[in-house]
Amino acid sequence: MDLRSLIAPRLVAHAHCDIPCGIYDPTAAKIAADTVAKMIEKITGATGSDDASRNTYIRSIAVKEEHAQICKKELLILWTDYFKPEHLEKYPKLHDTFWKAAKLCSKNKQSVDAAAAADLQAAVKEIADIFWATKK
Amino acid sequence: MRPAALLFRVAVAGASMEPTFRDGDWLLVRRLRRPPRRGEVVVASDPREPGRLLVKRVHAVTNAGVSVRGDHADPDASTDSRQFGPIPGSAVLGHAVLRYAPLRRFGLVR
Repeated sequence: MDLRSLIAPRLVAHAHCDIPCGIYDPTAAKIAADTVAKMIEKITGATGSDDASRNTYIRSIAVKEEHAQICKKELLILWTDYFKPEHLEKYPKLHDTFWKAAKLCSKNKQSVDAAAAADLQAAVKEIADIFWATKK
Repeated sequence: MRPAALLFRVAVAGASMEPTFRDGDWLLVRRLRRPPRRGEVVVASDPREPGRLLVKRVHAVTNAGVSVRGDHADPDASTDSRQFGPIPGSAVLGHAVLRYAPLRRFGLVR
């Protein structure tokens, strides 16, 4: 038996994080919210009843739906995986902010409302600002 | 796994104790027969998975138990009492006294 195997530990002590090198970034939610706003512009500005125009119109609705869902998913990842109890101590409105932002994602699916899209963009920005403040 | 010997060896797995320990460092651990003290590096049984060992630094000792944290500057790099809360004093098995390998990193644990 060589020296190395003689002195090698037989036990492992873990010094891990559960999520290896978790990469979190609110930019994905921002892009999704901006896409929702852009699609609402396209839907409300749509003219023409030819097949190509109708195709674009319906695609805009589908993309709005999809990106509102992406935005919600990205927000939930930040909310449940990134933010920790000590962040909540510092930002007591955090849960309420996320809850309202997630609800705004649903509202943007249900409606074609530029004001709702602007509210979502503002909510995502508020969360992004908190996120980057915790990274300082 | 609860080592019975007065001294035992562990291999560090993971980066949450950087820069104190790196992944793969070998440590000599002394079994603790007194309560752990703040600032000391301990090997403890994982409260979420008994049998699995953790190596962390004692951040606080309170009536609620022993709060442990990784040394890594980024809190995201360590899963510790900030997530799973304080651990019972009985879960602390020993304190790390010596890093004996690799040889170029040989030294007492502070």
